[in-house]
Amino acid sequence: MKKIKYIVLLLSGIFAINSCDTKDLEVKNPNELSPETFFKTEAQVQASVNAAYAHLQTRGLYGRHIFFALDNMSQENKGNPQLEGNKRPFINFTFDAGSDIIQYYWESCFLGISRANFVLDNEAIITALPNSVLTQEKKNKFLGEAHFLRAYYYFLLVNRFGDLPIYTKQTIVGAVRSPKADVYKLITEDFDFASKNLLADSAEQNGRATKEAAYAYLGKVNLYLKKYDEALTALNQVTGYSLESNFFNNFMDETEHGPESVFEVEYDEKLGVGDKWGSDTGGTGSAEATFRGQEYGNLGWYNVYPSDKLLDEYEVGDKRFGDTFYVPGSVYNKGASVMTANNFSTSEGNRRAGWKKYQNYYKRTDENQDSSINFKVMRYSDVLLMKAECENQRASGSQAAAIAYIKIVRDRAGLITTITATKDAVFKAIIHERKVELAGEQVRFDDIMRWGLASTELAGTGFVAGKHELWPIPNRETSSNPNIKGNNPNW
Amino acid sequence: MIMKFKFAIIALVMICSHNVMAQSKTIQGVVTDATGQPLPGASINVQGTTNSASTDFDGKYSLKDVKSTDKITFSFVGTISQTITAGNQTSINVKLVESTQSLTEVVVVAYGSQKRSKVTGAISVVGAKEIAAVPITNAESALQGRAAGVTVINGAPGSSPTVSIRGLSTMGNSSPLYVIDGVLTGNLSGLSPNDIETISVLKDASTTALYGSKAFNGVIIVTTKKGKKGAGVLTFNTYIGSQSVSKRYDVMDTTQYLKYAKDLGSDLTARAAEFGNINTNWQDQIFQSGLMQDYNLSFSNGTDTSSSRYSAEILKQEGSIIGTAFERYSFRANNTQTLGKITVGSNVGISFSKTNPERSAGGRTLLEHAIKMAPYLPIYNANNLGGYQGPSTIDGQDSENPVRVANLGSQVINNVSIIGNIFGEYDINKGLKFRSQVSLDYYTSKNHTFVPSFKDGSAHSQGFSTTNEGNQYGQTIVFNNSLQYKTTIADKHNIEAIGMIEKLTGKGQNINAGSRYYISDEIDQLRLQDANLNSSSYEENNLGYIARVNYDYDEKYLVAVSGRRDGSSRFGANNRWGNFYSVALGWNIAKEDFMKNSVFSTLKLRASSGTTGNDRIGNYQYSATLVSNYYYPIAGAAAAGVSTGGAANPDLKWESKNDRNFGLDFGLYDEKFTGAIEYFNNKASDILFQVPLPASVGSANGTQTVNIADVNTNGFELSLGYNDREGDFTWSATANLGTSNNEVISLAPGVTSVLAGPGPRAGLENFSRLEVGQPLFYFYGIETNGIYKNQAEVDAVFGPGQTAIKPGDIRFVDQDGNKTINANDKTNIGNPYPDFTYGLNLTAAYKKFDFNCFITGVQGNDIFNANVFDLQGMQRLFNASTDVIGRSIVANGVVTNPSATLPRALGASQNWASASDRYVEDGSYARLKNITVGYTLNGTTFDKYFSKLRMYVSAQNLITITNYSGLDPEVARADGNANSAGIDLGRYPQPKSVIFGLDVTF
Repeated sequence: MKKIKYIVLLLSGIFAINSCDTKDLEVKNPNELSPETFFKTEAQVQASVNAAYAHLQTRGLYGRHIFFALDNMSQENKGNPQLEGNKRPFINFTFDAGSDIIQYYWESCFLGISRANFVLDNEAIITALPNSVLTQEKKNKFLGEAHFLRAYYYFLLVNRFGDLPIYTKQTIVGAVRSPKADVYKLITEDFDFASKNLLADSAEQNGRATKEAAYAYLGKVNLYLKKYDEALTALNQVTGYSLESNFFNNFMDETEHGPESVFEVEYDEKLGVGDKWGSDTGGTGSAEATFRGQEYGNLGWYNVYPSDKLLDEYEVGDKRFGDTFYVPGSVYNKGASVMTANNFSTSEGNRRAGWKKYQNYYKRTDENQDSSINFKVMRYSDVLLMKAECENQRASGSQAAAIAYIKIVRDRAGLITTITATKDAVFKAIIHERKVELAGEQVRFDDIMRWGLASTELAGTGFVAGKHELWPIPNRETSSNPNIKGNNPNW
Repeated sequence: MIMKFKFAIIALVMICSHNVMAQSKTIQGVVTDATGQPLPGASINVQGTTNSASTDFDGKYSLKDVKSTDKITFSFVGTISQTITAGNQTSINVKLVESTQSLTEVVVVAYGSQKRSKVTGAISVVGAKEIAAVPITNAESALQGRAAGVTVINGAPGSSPTVSIRGLSTMGNSSPLYVIDGVLTGNLSGLSPNDIETISVLKDASTTALYGSKAFNGVIIVTTKKGKKGAGVLTFNTYIGSQSVSKRYDVMDTTQYLKYAKDLGSDLTARAAEFGNINTNWQDQIFQSGLMQDYNLSFSNGTDTSSSRYSAEILKQEGSIIGTAFERYSFRANNTQTLGKITVGSNVGISFSKTNPERSAGGRTLLEHAIKMAPYLPIYNANNLGGYQGPSTIDGQDSENPVRVANLGSQVINNVSIIGNIFGEYDINKGLKFRSQVSLDYYTSKNHTFVPSFKDGSAHSQGFSTTNEGNQYGQTIVFNNSLQYKTTIADKHNIEAIGMIEKLTGKGQNINAGSRYYISDEIDQLRLQDANLNSSSYEENNLGYIARVNYDYDEKYLVAVSGRRDGSSRFGANNRWGNFYSVALGWNIAKEDFMKNSVFSTLKLRASSGTTGNDRIGNYQYSATLVSNYYYPIAGAAAAGVSTGGAANPDLKWESKNDRNFGLDFGLYDEKFTGAIEYFNNKASDILFQVPLPASVGSANGTQTVNIADVNTNGFELSLGYNDREGDFTWSATANLGTSNNEVISLAPGVTSVLAGPGPRAGLENFSRLEVGQPLFYFYGIETNGIYKNQAEVDAVFGPGQTAIKPGDIRFVDQDGNKTINANDKTNIGNPYPDFTYGLNLTAAYKKFDFNCFITGVQGNDIFNANVFDLQGMQRLFNASTDVIGRSIVANGVVTNPSATLPRALGASQNWASASDRYVEDGSYARLKNITVGYTLNGTTFDKYFSKLRMYVSAQNLITITNYSGLDPEVARADGNANSAGIDLGRYPQPKSVIFGLDVTF
């Protein structure tokens, strides 16, 4: 009897020790923030916006693949033997829907769109924050950044894929493809909202989207849509900029955000590069460098080299040639070194040139996988040439005005401007000027497409009209989104 | 002193026995085991009488009143009894050979032990003898080929092997739960194989359900050696040997490579001449023959009230790939003390290890670099920063010098682990016992990597040194209290019951930091220059209520019932608790009266059913969180970003599995021939399935984890054993065979298939497919059917006008006939699971010699050999297999060598980018895993110094019979993930090794 008492005592003791703390089964994740408690401070709202920028840096976009894909398709590049098997198909148009480059491009953009939508989904909470926490101006500008970035990513997408699934809020349900026109409508509205709510360049931190950048893109989108009057109206709002007197200032690390810079994709290796190989689409972690320098550099991997067609486009005396390409005899490494013919040797023989734009050789002897040079995705010279195009094309435009814009760009290049004031001559001048001014800046392929010049410019490359104007929707999407049926024409 | 005393007694006995001669005589002798070790406590019995004796501490016996017609039976626990007719002998020395499976053997089970004859579930046991037979560096390897249905695949030195029991039932982590002396843990990495007494593999739910939500993949219970009663024993074991990989891929030499490059448009003649037209065999440069050595010292002692055993081991192993090595210092102390009704004790193991892992660069293995490097390049070049030579643009390719990757700088992982318990038991009253135990599983891991600046060509350089430090710790404390009750009613009804509460608390942290240093290569420490850091931590709590009742009637009819209620912090409030149970029945037919005179010493039928769970989904998976590690440079600083992470699922719960197991155990002729047949049929449900979200919705991890899929797994297992002796020759053979087939029963609603797995190379499409009605992760790709010989053949398939496919490209089978090759043309191109796995173990002893031979193999599986991508891909200029010399050559749009089986070089990207049956090979193999010959010195002058001295020579992986073209058909899964089953990405091949060893007992 006595023993039973002990047993009972013992048992209850054990239960007391163990079972009273079932609340221990509630644990809180110490590593990540909780969505319920977010959007309480300015820093938090700002952070939600910052995340939407980060996808610009992925390997799918400016980290690695976008410049290959677009510069290769436009035939500004030719490939050296070491060019990898996933990038070469963009020179000869043999890529397909299984291409990792196409997949990463698609995903990077849509991840960026979803990050922007996270901000916009919480618009009500953000606007309800007291002004003491977040001023009205800041609320507007944060929402403006989200609209700007959503439009930016959609613009990258619509040029490559045409009809697209439209998402204006975060969801896990895949949408059907909406007609291209609807996508453009969203892009236009977003850039329009951004242009009205963002801060002016003078009041904003370097690296963020500004009012002027929004106008520049609003202009560009309308130009692509051939709405020249609307385009010009927007582009005319891009004020306070001028051309760098030295063209090459646009492509150096130290002279970023100069007078010509409207919008840049930011890189800074000092801020960490540890996650760059894993950042195909994700945008998380430290991936603050681009592979561009190593990939294109003729003293680096030299995977691609400027095509003869591009090199031959430059007029004699065009100062931009020497700032865009290295050739034997070019000075580099702060003037301490000179390129020799051997610096352009490949296993297939010597090349005429290598890329200088966006290379680090101006200050160093070699490249590595971490380049900090920002991509100047919207320069004022581009704005000027777009304005010229608007003036040349719109009903009430003037060829003289167009030529005046072109002249500003050519003057800096040390060239005289003698363009006949006919629509056709000015158009030809614009084609030429955009090709040499913006070489290697991922605008040429879009230009060829919107001008309908593929039959001449891409002849003999493998480009099939009616097919290669658009990329195929990647397999990753068609296999996971039951609402997307079929693919682009002839894919 | 003791030795001399022994001899004196023996001498005396001999003298005495000589003088006694009568009708009824006394017989004396020594009973030993197969190796000649004395067996104390063996029983000697005259058949049909009560006349018996037992052996003393030195194995000696004396049996009186024996008539010459008497039949004397010698028996000992765990051995095969022998019966000898006395005749006119007065001295009979007997060697008793161990039986493979003994009726009286005690088997370690979940939270206790059981007589083998009472076991009702599926358990395989590997004992110390079998473990000692093969020199191994990690304890998991002891299971390879020895336990039916268990597969073990090793990786690099120091890495934990991939272990799976009864195949796959989950899409996630498929490794079993390990329990060392009652301590739950994740692997056996800190444990010296010499310290292991037995390993029990619990394979069905009736044996594992007590581990509840951790038991899904089966449980491996390790019991370490304890001190044995008797005088202290000091043993010393050592071996030294060498291991190497002899197989190589046949790649082009310089002459062949130069011609190949020229065909591809690159004239490298001058470049090769620059380096003197040398021929570097890069594969030979990355493989080495590595020295292995192991020293193990143990001391054990025991009295009626205490036992203790201490051991220490040093293991040093150089890998067979340069730069890889492993060193482990492990210590163990096991003690128990009994004071009246109280027993207290502790079992503690501490180990320190240092691993130099295989290094890699650019996401590629050393082997991949070694295949692709230009053979005319030298390894070293004193003119280059760092001292190595690598490719420049003039070489037209950019593989990395694998010797530089492996040897420049260093990577060291230093681990400390402590695993152990302290327990107390109190005998309350007649069979009622209380036990309390606290156990700890603790580790720290420091991973230090340093790479100095280098430039070995324009393709690869680094203008600064990099240092990375990873610092990890984790601890799990388990507190459990139990009451056990054991009784027998009316001599026939045996009841055993146990009730327990178990509480688990785990926590850990991970800190990583890295920096660059531009000033010098001399410092391999962190500096605040281009630095980055991050940390994460976790906490996990688990509470379990456990009960089990075993009942048997006269050991004939067996019933076992067990249950566990588990609560886990890994799940949301909706699904925090789960119940797991099992029921098992057994019938010992051999004990029935009608079987009395049969040849069967064992005949038992078993059936069991039960459920287990799998909580291995990581911590905090159920809760919606924001991801806070977005960064973007704004105004010169890293602006931190926060956004939504993956799609949360608050209803997340554990995977559960319902096992059914049927078994038949048999033993014939007094267990001379033994065996077991098992059939299992497991239905896993609520399997966590990463439901792929449309890429365009922009979910951060692309999937939502949902408990939704069902998977069935079934198979047979067969184990057979045979022992025999013929004079001084004794031998035994055991064989086992296992099958396991799995099938996906359902995925998410509306999802009939999804692609997973690693893909052959970064950026290429993955091909391991989940599909309803098919095995998990089967290979899904495009079939090939030769090569297009001319344009007409191409046009016949695609019609005119397309430019991507040309003569010399691979003819992929257009399954849907739509004139394009795309995702719709993929089909089943291979199954990574074998039809069966097997092991065959032969042991023999003749006088002082012993012999062991051990064969393992698998049959009928496919391997996706991703190395073919490098060897035959020809997507751009790299060195490759000599096979590419015979590739299709195209002239004027026609293949000039129509018998060629490889496509043209630099052909359509589909040739290499598409996962196709080009990469799939038969992975069957049979491997002579071990062969050992030993010699025991006794009966010599050494006896003065040693009670046992054995020398042996052993060879491992000596012969492999396979058609697989890769370096090793034992393909380890990448990171143990189920979704990389059967994919050879160029991982660490198993080396051949030759070892010389010494076992000494003082």
